[in-house]
Amino acid sequence: MAEIFDAIFISLYRLTGNPLWDYFIGTFLLALLSVLVGQGTAFLVLSANRNHLENLDSRFATLSRLTASAMEMGDMQSYKSLNKEANDAYGQVFFNRFGLSAASLWPVFFALAWMQEHFAHILIPIPFLDSKANYFVIFLGSYIMARIFFSRARRHFVDHPGQSAESSTVLNAR
Amino acid sequence: MGSDLGLAGKIGDAVKNAPAGKGKGQIDANAPRGVFGIPGAPQVNYMLAILWATWVGWIFSTVGAFGGVMAGVGHMSVYGLGDYARTFKDTVPALNRTLTDSIRTSNQWLVGLSSILSVINYFKSKRLSWPLGLALGAGSIVGAFSAASLSGGKVSFSQYQGWFGFFVLVVAGFLFYETTPRGQASKKAAKAAAQAFEQTVKEKGDVCALGVCAKDWGITKSTFTFFGSEFSFNPIWAFFGGVVIAAISAFIGVGGGFLYVPYLTTFVGLPMYIVAGTSALAVFISMVTSITTYIQLAGAGMDWGLVGIQLIGVFVGSMIGPRTQKYIPDIWLKRLFIVLALYVGIGYFTKGFFGQAWVPM
Repeated sequence: MAEIFDAIFISLYRLTGNPLWDYFIGTFLLALLSVLVGQGTAFLVLSANRNHLENLDSRFATLSRLTASAMEMGDMQSYKSLNKEANDAYGQVFFNRFGLSAASLWPVFFALAWMQEHFAHILIPIPFLDSKANYFVIFLGSYIMARIFFSRARRHFVDHPGQSAESSTVLNAR
Repeated sequence: MGSDLGLAGKIGDAVKNAPAGKGKGQIDANAPRGVFGIPGAPQVNYMLAILWATWVGWIFSTVGAFGGVMAGVGHMSVYGLGDYARTFKDTVPALNRTLTDSIRTSNQWLVGLSSILSVINYFKSKRLSWPLGLALGAGSIVGAFSAASLSGGKVSFSQYQGWFGFFVLVVAGFLFYETTPRGQASKKAAKAAAQAFEQTVKEKGDVCALGVCAKDWGITKSTFTFFGSEFSFNPIWAFFGGVVIAAISAFIGVGGGFLYVPYLTTFVGLPMYIVAGTSALAVFISMVTSITTYIQLAGAGMDWGLVGIQLIGVFVGSMIGPRTQKYIPDIWLKRLFIVLALYVGIGYFTKGFFGQAWVPM
């Protein structure tokens, strides 16, 4: 199995024949693959836990709004009580979001493991800059670009007006 | 050894100076490569790693805390990295210390990741207080960088384990207070007051939401309006709070949300509406700073595959958590974790500082 993945990933690094360009293009494609797989699993987790996450979000939003109302009315006793309640609710929201983060980001670490195995000792010159960077820095930059690219592509191709409500719910939850 | 065996960074440098052999505290170049790519290091059973991470994810999603501690227990005890690092205490202290940094950084990856998506969401919904975030964030950078650069490559595994145990005992203390009659009474009173106020609001109609709006910026006093009411805080206190909390988090190898949130709500007196996003931002800044410092300055090695495997377990656990939560009362969950925290805390504290655990481990 590892050999198959190895062959696929290596092929991403042999597209132009120019070693430097191949490195940047291959890393971007690897990052894009990580984004796609991560978004797929995040969607699965979100679908499975949607009700639970929405309940937690709603409870936290209500408590936050009530805290604001208490302050608006100058009721500091209620403000403190509500703030304490909102604190507990936030703990639940925060750590449940971790499940979504994990589902979205796990492929990144396998990509980094693969790059570490193949490029750990190589420093790549950065175009237009008089400096070099290791595989981690190049992958991180590529991953950020791949996420922006994916986000724009999804907005362009998927989030058309007919589906905007559903898609924006998913987008916001992530 | 005389060779780094192809290992990068400080781990490679330390391996070069390790005695060759098959005994404890030695490196056998012909042994199969284990964690961090070191020959003879523990081969982490990926099924065990997924199961343990599932447990961590389950805790995160049900209790809303304590997951970072369990992630640390996984790295140190379940996967055997702690015992392995300890074997080099006398033969190659540098390897002992750099493996300790790698364990700390692995903990931070797992815990700190929880903040990334939260920051993006709160940023989009304009729920970050920028003056507070900047003061706290600047403090976090100073604290995390100082702790990671000053302690990176200098803390032995035993010392780290002892301090980690101490931290867990403090967490156990907080959890215990929440389950005492006094803690429960305070919680019940807060809940009752919240419900009473909710009823009042229902009768009077909801207040228009305006969100957070920065008003005055100053070194000793910054003011913002929150739903029309004026709110002020001292940026210097926020800065020093960030320094202290980020330094503790970076040293122990946790995210720090557990400390930022009560600090901002209890000591600075800010509303959760703002604290949620701002503390997530502080955790994120602190995590990026300390991880980068550990990897770049202290040369901590990473086993990326192990982090990836654990993340799979975490998201599986976070899917199971909500489905089992309704069957276990919250107070019993807390009691379970108090027992676990006491066990782990006492064990790590005594093993780290006295060389002998006072509980079986």
